[in-house]
Amino acid sequence: MSIFKARVKEFEDILTGPQDFIDLKQLRKLAFNGVPDVQSFRALSWKLLLGYLGPRRSSWTTTLAQKRALYKQFIEELVLPPGHESNGGGVDGGDGDKVDSGGVGLQDHPLSEGPESAWNTFFNDNEFLLQIDKDVRRLCPDISFFQQPTDYPCEIVVHSKGEHGRRLHERVVPAVLSSANVERKGLGMTKQQINLITKRSVENYAAMEEGQEAHWEVVQRILFIYAKLNPGQGYVQGMNEIVGPIYYVMASDPDLSYRAHAEADCFFCFTALMSEIRDFFIKTLDDAEGGIKFMMARLSNMLKSKDPSIYELLRSQELHPQYYSFRWLTLLLSQEFPLPDVLRIWDSVFADEQRFDFLIKICCSMILIQRDAILENDFASNVKLLQNYPPIDINVVIAHAGSLA
Amino acid sequence: MAKKTYDLLFKLLLIGDSGVGKTCILFRFSDDAFTSTFISTIGIDFKIKTVELRGKKIKLQIWDTAGQERFHTITTSYYRGAMGIMLVYDITNEKSFENIVKWLRNIDEHANEDVEKMILGNKCDMTDKRVVNKERGEAIAREHGIRFMETSAKSNINIERAFCELAEAILDKTSGRESAENQERVIIDRRNQEKAPGYSKCCA
Repeated sequence: MSIFKARVKEFEDILTGPQDFIDLKQLRKLAFNGVPDVQSFRALSWKLLLGYLGPRRSSWTTTLAQKRALYKQFIEELVLPPGHESNGGGVDGGDGDKVDSGGVGLQDHPLSEGPESAWNTFFNDNEFLLQIDKDVRRLCPDISFFQQPTDYPCEIVVHSKGEHGRRLHERVVPAVLSSANVERKGLGMTKQQINLITKRSVENYAAMEEGQEAHWEVVQRILFIYAKLNPGQGYVQGMNEIVGPIYYVMASDPDLSYRAHAEADCFFCFTALMSEIRDFFIKTLDDAEGGIKFMMARLSNMLKSKDPSIYELLRSQELHPQYYSFRWLTLLLSQEFPLPDVLRIWDSVFADEQRFDFLIKICCSMILIQRDAILENDFASNVKLLQNYPPIDINVVIAHAGSLA
Repeated sequence: MAKKTYDLLFKLLLIGDSGVGKTCILFRFSDDAFTSTFISTIGIDFKIKTVELRGKKIKLQIWDTAGQERFHTITTSYYRGAMGIMLVYDITNEKSFENIVKWLRNIDEHANEDVEKMILGNKCDMTDKRVVNKERGEAIAREHGIRFMETSAKSNINIERAFCELAEAILDKTSGRESAENQERVIIDRRNQEKAPGYSKCCA
């Protein structure tokens, strides 16, 4: 039996074997050396390693059903425009005398300026939504995956029946543009104009027709809901690079019964991962333990102890760690390597019980592996080298990191 | 250390709202190419280009920054060392123009007092989507006594010129200050003054 087949067998035994209880310790050990790209192994392992699913297999059906129902509720409450019929479950009387205390009252309207107005919130959201929109439209541009339609669009969103704003990006189409069009063409053609505009807006990351949506639109919704539920943190650039690989894994799960719920499952896995790295994204925590500067210092200290000469050289060149390691660590290396390599790195990072010890080791190895070049280079070449890490067999880096004590 | 292949080293910084095209401007200048598929800049990026001005080889070390507020603590630490700052907005994005004032305040707070500044209204090829007209860009530049240009990284309009003018302005300063270093030639050159709309020292 080949080594690969043996590894597959091991995963099969632990993930799909007859026992109800999954030995997480064993799974961590296996996943640390990479999850084979077969069946649902990676998607399932990540769900377990991130704590979205518990080790008891018999609990999964209930957990998944509950979480997915909850996510659906998030969409209804946070994504659909106010006054929508399934919002708060209120009866849409339409006569103006019924006020639904749970949902949006009919006294509320888009022009209301009251702080309690759901419409007010709706418009305020657009500020961070605009940022999300920019970022998801440039997610993993080297692969076409995110530009393609998903087989499992969110039905309530893509069948808008002409209602504007269910698709989040429709809300942030440049307002002046549409009014310029309205001026020219009159008010009667609004819907047609909107289609025209969204299609033109960004060539490749174009919005889909009624009934369809692209993967980037799904990711946009995940990030939007996350930001709505975590108002103290909101959306920070780079979160798109964190959610991207998770979504990719979930949405390409060969098991279609899982793939159909990629959006909800990804949301909770992303939320779980963010709970561990959220401090990296919060400016006021930069200097706190767990903040990004603390992480960069950990890397710096490790480098100093492993190879003082490189450490000293970089210091003398005033090549500060934040020039390269800020991005490395904040994004868990997701921008430094091609997607398949990122997935491989994350297998190990998620399997690491001392979370992020190993990430720091990988980062340290990335520098040590380039030792000779770094010692030769001047400042500029070294910044370039570290900011655009040269192509490399990722297993070499991971093996090197594994060898660091 | 490698031997010097240049006469002067200028450190430049690109700032402005997210998505206005800072990375594209820099890519056009350094690699003379355009792509609309850049991932968002996280933290800070770096490029080098050597230009020749008045017979001097000038190495431009250009830092490209992330636009979002969160990254300001990381990016403002670079302001101090910058000799020139390009402040970029997007002519199809009103908000990015309004924020110019905020970015200028940032410069005042964190950069050297004598840093050379230039405002760029990028994406000027997108005429049908324009919401900020050129006059408004010129006006704000005049108000603050800063150079101004409209650019397009996509259509390669004014990109090279913008960097060269900024570099020249820095050169003016350094050659004035360090004339001892270069005694045979003291350059006082304001030739480009009329060519650069919005640049005016006498606006007050």
